Amino acid sequence: MLTVEPTSSIPIYIQLRNQVMEAIARGELSTGDTLPSVRALAADLGVNMHTVNKSYHELVSKEIIEIVPKKGAVIIANNKENISEERLESLSNELKPLVTEALVHGINEIKLHDLVSKIMKNIKEVE
Amino acid sequence: MEFTILFITILFISLIQIAAPFLVKRTVVFGVAIPYEQTNHPKVKQFKRRYAISTCFIALIVLLRFFILKQGSITETKLVLSGVVLPFVLILASLSLYFYFHYKTTKVKKSQHWFEGVKQVRVADLSVRLKDEMLPSVVHFIPVILTISIVGLTIHVFDQLPNQVPTHWGPNGQPDDFTTKSWMTVLNLPIMLFVIQIMFFGINAATKNSGIKLSATNINSAKRRQLNLRKYSSWFLLVVNILMTMLFSFMQLNLLYENLVSNSMLWITPLIFFILILGGSLILAIKVGSADSDLEGKVIIEETNQIEDVDEDQNWKGGLIYFNPNDPSVFVEKRFGIGFTLNFANPRGYFIIFLPIVIILLMSFTM
Repeated sequence: MLTVEPTSSIPIYIQLRNQVMEAIARGELSTGDTLPSVRALAADLGVNMHTVNKSYHELVSKEIIEIVPKKGAVIIANNKENISEERLESLSNELKPLVTEALVHGINEIKLHDLVSKIMKNIKEVE
Repeated sequence: MEFTILFITILFISLIQIAAPFLVKRTVVFGVAIPYEQTNHPKVKQFKRRYAISTCFIALIVLLRFFILKQGSITETKLVLSGVVLPFVLILASLSLYFYFHYKTTKVKKSQHWFEGVKQVRVADLSVRLKDEMLPSVVHFIPVILTISIVGLTIHVFDQLPNQVPTHWGPNGQPDDFTTKSWMTVLNLPIMLFVIQIMFFGINAATKNSGIKLSATNINSAKRRQLNLRKYSSWFLLVVNILMTMLFSFMQLNLLYENLVSNSMLWITPLIFFILILGGSLILAIKVGSADSDLEGKVIIEETNQIEDVDEDQNWKGGLIYFNPNDPSVFVEKRFGIGFTLNFANPRGYFIIFLPIVIILLMSFTM
């Protein structure tokens, strides 16, 4: 189930991207599954097709899905395999400013670990 | 006979009009979106009751009027004419009532501050399309085979046709208007039929691509309603397509071979047509109207929801006309009544619906 909040300050395409990633993390979607077509998902949500297209592109650039001609958006991310070097590096680049921000606000390593575990638990718990 | 058919039609329209507020989604009252937990609000229930009673009253008057007309000394033509006009009187009256209660509901919604300060969301189920049981659009090409055979047959016997071909038949099934034979006049019916069949294919295909709108507050019921609507309306569309094909084929055969189809057949085909359409609409209304409506009868959770569906009133003009340029859907579920309505902001809809209608109208006028 995807939930988006149109009036939120977070753009819809980011919300959608995050929701798809969370669905994969929870195991609702797994490697090889196909996402609905851009038109179908946009119609279901009543949002612009460009919005859905943009979030699919984000997922492609994160190597989570792949656009296969005639099949659509197929999930290629595999949480049973080890993460590739490049992915790990790009993830660490994206995490860096956030970790820095946490440090700036005086969060120590233990608290940071706690925070990450809490977030992980939260992702898996959402029904 | 004409009286019975028209009487049943008016009765049927009356029942659908009276039942409409109870068959539509609970969260939309007279075209106005309301929060899920307010569906049992006393004002809401009162409005629905008042609408039903008033419509029922008007329907009784209309039916009585029609019955009295029949008793009096009135020509059959006049009786049929009033039988055609009276349903419109009924629809116009219930539409006025609809607008009155639409306005009243809007006022209550405003004064009660519904939807204010609540998180409004849209939801989608990524796997819902696997459960979609709509017929594939290509089924609408099966009747096209018959159209092609009819065209072939017409071309084959063209030389043997008389110079004056019938173009209009009276109520008794006898031709009462003739035109000089030409390719255009002889192929008029099959071409019209072909345009209709293509239109039905287009409607089915566009519905398939249209959104399956779910409700965050009541996901399962909303899903059942949407899937039923899609499934049964696609079956209904196919039945109508087959009936149209039969009717047009009979008419064409009658044009080609004057005495091939007996008069009783010509008379009985529209009757079967009528019964199947009425039965089909009834099944559709029950199957769709029993999910996620007042008829579902499930007790509503009393606690206040933390989330609500997005209040889409601004996309619905008068609660009847959907105009949302962002939504790629061509067809969406009606807010008042059972079935689909066009997204008037999507040009594809005009192409699918109005283009074929214009072609058919042009063809019937130039004939």
